[in-house]
Amino acid sequence: MTGSSRTLCWNCQSAVGGEYFCPQCVKVQPASVWSDYFSVFGLPRKLGLDLGELQQRFYEWSRKFHPDFFQRATPEEQAISLENSALVNTAYRALRDPIARVEYLIGLEEGAVKGIPPRAPRDLLEEMLEMQEALEEAKTSALDAETRKRLEGERERLAERRKAEEARLMEVAGEWDALVGASDHASRERDAVRRKLLDGMKEILAVRAYLTTVINDLSEALGEETHTHVSHRRH
Amino acid sequence: MAYSEKVIDHYNNPRNVGSFPKEIPGVGTGLVGAPECGDVMKLQIKVNLDTGVIEDAKFKTFGCGSAIASSSLATEWLKGKSVDEAMKIKNTDIVNELKLPPVKIHCSVLAEDAIKAALADYRGKWGKKEVAAGAATS
Repeated sequence: MTGSSRTLCWNCQSAVGGEYFCPQCVKVQPASVWSDYFSVFGLPRKLGLDLGELQQRFYEWSRKFHPDFFQRATPEEQAISLENSALVNTAYRALRDPIARVEYLIGLEEGAVKGIPPRAPRDLLEEMLEMQEALEEAKTSALDAETRKRLEGERERLAERRKAEEARLMEVAGEWDALVGASDHASRERDAVRRKLLDGMKEILAVRAYLTTVINDLSEALGEETHTHVSHRRH
Repeated sequence: MAYSEKVIDHYNNPRNVGSFPKEIPGVGTGLVGAPECGDVMKLQIKVNLDTGVIEDAKFKTFGCGSAIASSSLATEWLKGKSVDEAMKIKNTDIVNELKLPPVKIHCSVLAEDAIKAALADYRGKWGKKEVAAGAATS
């Protein structure tokens, strides 16, 4: 919790040192004491984390900040508890899912200076285009049993591939954790490895996004419900 | 979200949908994608190797309405332009023409990328022949 050690309590002006409740006056402290979602739960900024531990801390902080406990407190404290509760929820949701966790970490590491957006490999783009064309064709005609079977087979194949990409992502995530855990002193070599791992994770996420889109489109063509996170598509 | 009339028009009546066989002389192909929304855009130009003018352009886009409209508009603009003129088409031109809202600006960026990719592909494949033809006529 670097940088927050000099934070002062909004109420009594004593040093709070990153504590969520002031050690002097016991007033709840605003979310600004946290620098990121990992620090919300007092966890190191690593991709491999103990889900049980995360959940336990989530419950703990949810209870402590629950607005119900602040009904008789001052309006300031009520506002802070509400804001903190919301943040704890957002943070938990971002860290709970391993893929969302990687996405969050990339945004955190790159900050305002976004790296070059990932380019999906060209052969993947061609494959996606071909698949979409085949799908379009299938949509215009009635879905006969043979086509249906073929589309289902394709979907299965793509789902397998997405699984493989996710496994690959977790491998790179492990390498990332090893790098950040190894040493703190910066070197050019370390920076290069860091950049390479970030770009590697971004590319896998891009490939995964494509696979997800086509898998969902296939499900849609097969007349099934889709569970998509990509809500801003085709609006 | 409310789309502008121009977006809806291009979406309902997309211009120049289709493709050219890649091996036809003067054809340049750009294939780009936006991983964050899974869009795929293929844009092709067909350049007259004697004059260096883009005679025809086609596209095929799988994506949202703005992505389709952006690439449809791009093919309209490309026709009749020289390769150098085509290089000057900017995503902001597309944004202004289609009145794209801020959340859809990336669709116009994708269209500009597709134009640039098609032009680069054309130059790589046929650029020398164009220069040779130009030198012969001058």
